[in-house]
Amino acid sequence: MRFQDAAKDARAIVYAGIQADPVVARAAELLADATPAQRVLARAVMNGETLDPAGWRSMFPTLFGDDRDFGDDPDDPAGTRAVGAADRATRERAEAILTVSLAIADRGEQVRSQLRGALVEAITAVLLARRAGAAAVKRERRVLFDGVRAEIHPYDVTVERPGAAEAYDCKWGARGINADVLHQLDDARSHAADEDEVLRVALVVFDAERSCRVRLERQTAAHERTGLVAIETLHRLAAASG
Amino acid sequence: MTIAAAIASALAAYEALTSLGEDVEDEWTYVSDLSTAWNERLEGVRAARGDEPIETPARAAIERAIDEIGRISDPHRAIDWLSTFPQVVLVCLGEQP
Repeated sequence: MRFQDAAKDARAIVYAGIQADPVVARAAELLADATPAQRVLARAVMNGETLDPAGWRSMFPTLFGDDRDFGDDPDDPAGTRAVGAADRATRERAEAILTVSLAIADRGEQVRSQLRGALVEAITAVLLARRAGAAAVKRERRVLFDGVRAEIHPYDVTVERPGAAEAYDCKWGARGINADVLHQLDDARSHAADEDEVLRVALVVFDAERSCRVRLERQTAAHERTGLVAIETLHRLAAASG
Repeated sequence: MTIAAAIASALAAYEALTSLGEDVEDEWTYVSDLSTAWNERLEGVRAARGDEPIETPARAAIERAIDEIGRISDPHRAIDWLSTFPQVVLVCLGEQP
């Protein structure tokens, strides 16, 4: 088993520009350490129809709420019933996430979609680098095996370490999970096993695990040995146990 | 207003969103499965906490989320929100998304 850079075709060159957009790195750094609720905020804004920050703040009172702001409720003038009033640090991070999410949402539909995909890859790389070291984490790589035709599509993120390699496919939403992706991941895992190598494979999906499980339930492609990292469990990428 | 009433409003809006998502014929089964799964999750919260009064910010937040999905006209965007909207509602109610 060996790893190789993907061919630099026209698609790859265009997409590299998307991946290099500073907003992707900024969002990835913020979301790597975000709470699940903050990630839901980011997902909602980047999926959203509206770009009004005040509207988004009002949709997430547990992230932006402040007792002092709730004093205009005639039934609760002291704001004492405000639920989940956020502390300053929570509000500041939520504000930063809102700002960067709106910057992505405020692009044309096609670019927005590409940025979201690149963002999931970037978050994955950031978190994996904390565990495996930045030098071991690669993007857009093919995995080659003796006597096996190489897959055309590269893996989004790989961890390349002797005896402990990993390959990840990253999706913005559960709907992106399909037979082709599952086959590619499981085939790589099984080809590695044929060479007595270990290759852990997983999907990283910036969506709820519940939605991912629903999607996987109907898939007939082998995925029993394919891991799933969802929006609630992204932190596991950085954990020692992977 | 109670949590039960807020969830009822959310589920009514979610039903309309589901209908829009079903326009993507290739994803009809996924849309149906997804809608069922999240309906069950929200119904579970209603069963457990339905009698509780809902706080003003949470009520306003859910109304804002309902307004957001009411703006959607693209069925593909609707499918994105079939997963996102219930998570937003759960966060509003202080539940794990």
